[in-house]
Amino acid sequence: MKRAILASGLCGVTALMVAGAMKVDGISERAKKLHFSSIVVDTHDDTTQRFLDGKFELGPRDANGSIDIPRMKEGNLDAIFFSIWIPSKITGPEAVNRAMTQIDAVREQVAKHPKDLTLATTAADIRRAHKQGKIAALLGVEGGHMINSDLGVLRKYAALGVRYMTLTHSGNDEWADSSTDKAVHNGLSDFGKDVVREMNRLGMMVDISHVSDKTFYDALEVSKAPLIASHSSCRAICDAARNMTDQMIKDLGAKGGVIQINYHVGFLSQEFRDAEKANPEIEKAIQTEVNKRCGDNEACQLIEGDRIVHEYMNAGKLPKVDYTKIIEHIDHAVKLVGAEHVGLGSDFDGAVMPLGMEDASKLPKITEALLQKGYSESDIRKILGENTLRVMSEVERVSRESKSPGKK
Amino acid sequence: MRLIRATLLACLVGSVFMAVNVATGDDIAERAHKLHFSSIVLDTHDDTTQRFFSKAGFDMAQRHTDGHIDIPRMRDGGMNAIFFSIWIDGRTMGPPAVQKAIDQIDAVHQMVRKDPKDLSFCHTAAEVREAHKQGKIAVLIGVEGGHMIGNDIRVLRTFGDLGVRYMTLSHFYNDEWADSSTDKPAHNGLTDFGKDIVREMNRQGIMVDISHVSDKTFYDALETSKAPLIASHSSCRALCDHVRDMSDDMIKALAAKGGVIQINYEKSFIDQAYKDAYDKASGGVVATMNNITKECGDDEECVITKVQAIQAAMEKSGQLPPVSWERIIDHIDHAVKLVGADHVGLGSDFDGATMPTGMEDCTKLPKITEALMRKGYGDDDIRKILGGNLLRVMEATEKVSKEMQSAH
Repeated sequence: MKRAILASGLCGVTALMVAGAMKVDGISERAKKLHFSSIVVDTHDDTTQRFLDGKFELGPRDANGSIDIPRMKEGNLDAIFFSIWIPSKITGPEAVNRAMTQIDAVREQVAKHPKDLTLATTAADIRRAHKQGKIAALLGVEGGHMINSDLGVLRKYAALGVRYMTLTHSGNDEWADSSTDKAVHNGLSDFGKDVVREMNRLGMMVDISHVSDKTFYDALEVSKAPLIASHSSCRAICDAARNMTDQMIKDLGAKGGVIQINYHVGFLSQEFRDAEKANPEIEKAIQTEVNKRCGDNEACQLIEGDRIVHEYMNAGKLPKVDYTKIIEHIDHAVKLVGAEHVGLGSDFDGAVMPLGMEDASKLPKITEALLQKGYSESDIRKILGENTLRVMSEVERVSRESKSPGKK
Repeated sequence: MRLIRATLLACLVGSVFMAVNVATGDDIAERAHKLHFSSIVLDTHDDTTQRFFSKAGFDMAQRHTDGHIDIPRMRDGGMNAIFFSIWIDGRTMGPPAVQKAIDQIDAVHQMVRKDPKDLSFCHTAAEVREAHKQGKIAVLIGVEGGHMIGNDIRVLRTFGDLGVRYMTLSHFYNDEWADSSTDKPAHNGLTDFGKDIVREMNRQGIMVDISHVSDKTFYDALETSKAPLIASHSSCRALCDHVRDMSDDMIKALAAKGGVIQINYEKSFIDQAYKDAYDKASGGVVATMNNITKECGDDEECVITKVQAIQAAMEKSGQLPPVSWERIIDHIDHAVKLVGADHVGLGSDFDGATMPTGMEDCTKLPKITEALMRKGYGDDDIRKILGGNLLRVMEATEKVSKEMQSAH
């Protein structure tokens, strides 16, 4: 509190007003009003993995994980991209089959909750859902290995509603290098470039999270539509290959794209990263414990991993990372390229969340923090979702134009 | 004696008189032409899809001298609604089957995309009627064999989402959950999971097709399904004793629940003498198919070409008797006499079977209308057989689907 009062000038006055209107939950009336009237879009959630065992239901509040309908409503998460994900090592028809079943799992959840959820495939769909008070559910395929080098499969994903595809996951696929694998394609292969062009034609956003820097630059050059990084943060703050350098963020922004900040502690905090690196035995112990609790159940692994790391943080064995780190990354990117090119890509249910951002209900804290920093309401709305909607509209326009007669 | 001779003479003269009238374009020929070209002529089974994969690059928009189907010939024959069959050999199962089916579905979609002036992709009976109004050919998709869902109900749903409007429960071989008519029974008809599949098809609005399945599978499906069934391409066993055809009892049971038998034009399904000679010459259809698939591997176009080539060679050598297209009319008439004109339709098997003389391709379809008219069929009944019945079953299937989904 003291720090806010000490702040000088206009900012100080704003902070004082905000502080005055603060509620018990730490969110001011102004932030609440802004947050709950905005369209809040999250471009990356791994909750899909939880649908696969047939037991998890989005309807009731869940004691585990970060996403369900009650908590999305509490945090006003209006539009969510459910990630279709299988490990990179699964390829071929098996990958296609498994991706199809995950797409179905999302569509079935939507069908089961028609009052709360609606499947959206366009920016207009999201705005309509928002007006109706429904949560827009969207689909993103996290890894090009799931198309099995087959544009026909890519097209069927689009037909089923998939609106972005991450060009790789953590391993290279047949036509693109990943940031966490040895380069073999020197970025995108020729076929990989065809994939990007076909995505443009289909109106599917090209997602460059996970890909190698060279793949990013190849995709940037080939794509007629702006790119997204669906869940990546800033390498200048935390030096992870999964994050983007300042130059990459600038180049992405220059072509109208948007970086959607990932909340994973290992991508937010250099201190956490260093501690992990310095104590490989901790990571090993965590992995052992995860395997013990989950076997090969991927949804369980993701959620228990988050829980166990929190236990380590709370016990002081790993540095505590709190949600204000998210704000730091947003602010860094905004200072670099402006508020038009930054958004939210939590990685909820797929990563280790920082303290204070345990689940979707905590999202208003981001709005509150940005207001405190002096961000304008209009800039905050952009970061919360309007930027993603703008890229979607742009991608839709490129798709329409490539289909209109007379155009090749 | 004299009296008899006189009567005979009168009859003869009368016949000659009629024949003369036909030759010069009598009233019936004109009326039949009008009726045919104003009707929705819907064919529920065409294997042309396999040609889309042909190395030569098959173009639907061009008139061909081989095969049975292309747009110019469909226009000539007044055929304005077609179910393209998605088919792979029944021994390809699991994820490879799913992937190949997706590729074929995509091939049909792509074909429609290339020719939007002539073709319109349809999901519902209303869309078929609308396409007809616009002078377009309605394109629909049927999956010929339950093995293509990879034993996974979620894949079935995504097929439905991609526009598949019927699924044949099995093809030539048993799949994981249904017995085929041309394989040794392994499931005693439909397994419990097979029944779940039928129920899910009802829920998704996918017509249940009982061509190819064993008699027991047929009766199980009939009992389980809330919507009427179709036999997308089967003829009458009473006229030609082939396991692929339906017995009179089966046709009656199918009709009693509102279903429809779509008569198959394949020579060995419609002509007993031909079928007997074929069995004698080849050792039966099962042995022949086994040999062919050994040669062709998983090249589906090769299988179809080989089947036709073998039959053609046997015909040429005189081992097989000629079969006239009029046998098709016999089968239609038999089924109509059995269950009425509301339960019979057309399921040619064009591009997937050997056609009888006089029905060499889809340009010959108007002959069916004229023949039925000459038999004294009313205009309304003929329209039903040409397509109206199938549209009625589609509508009934859509209704069941809506009811099941709203009862969620």
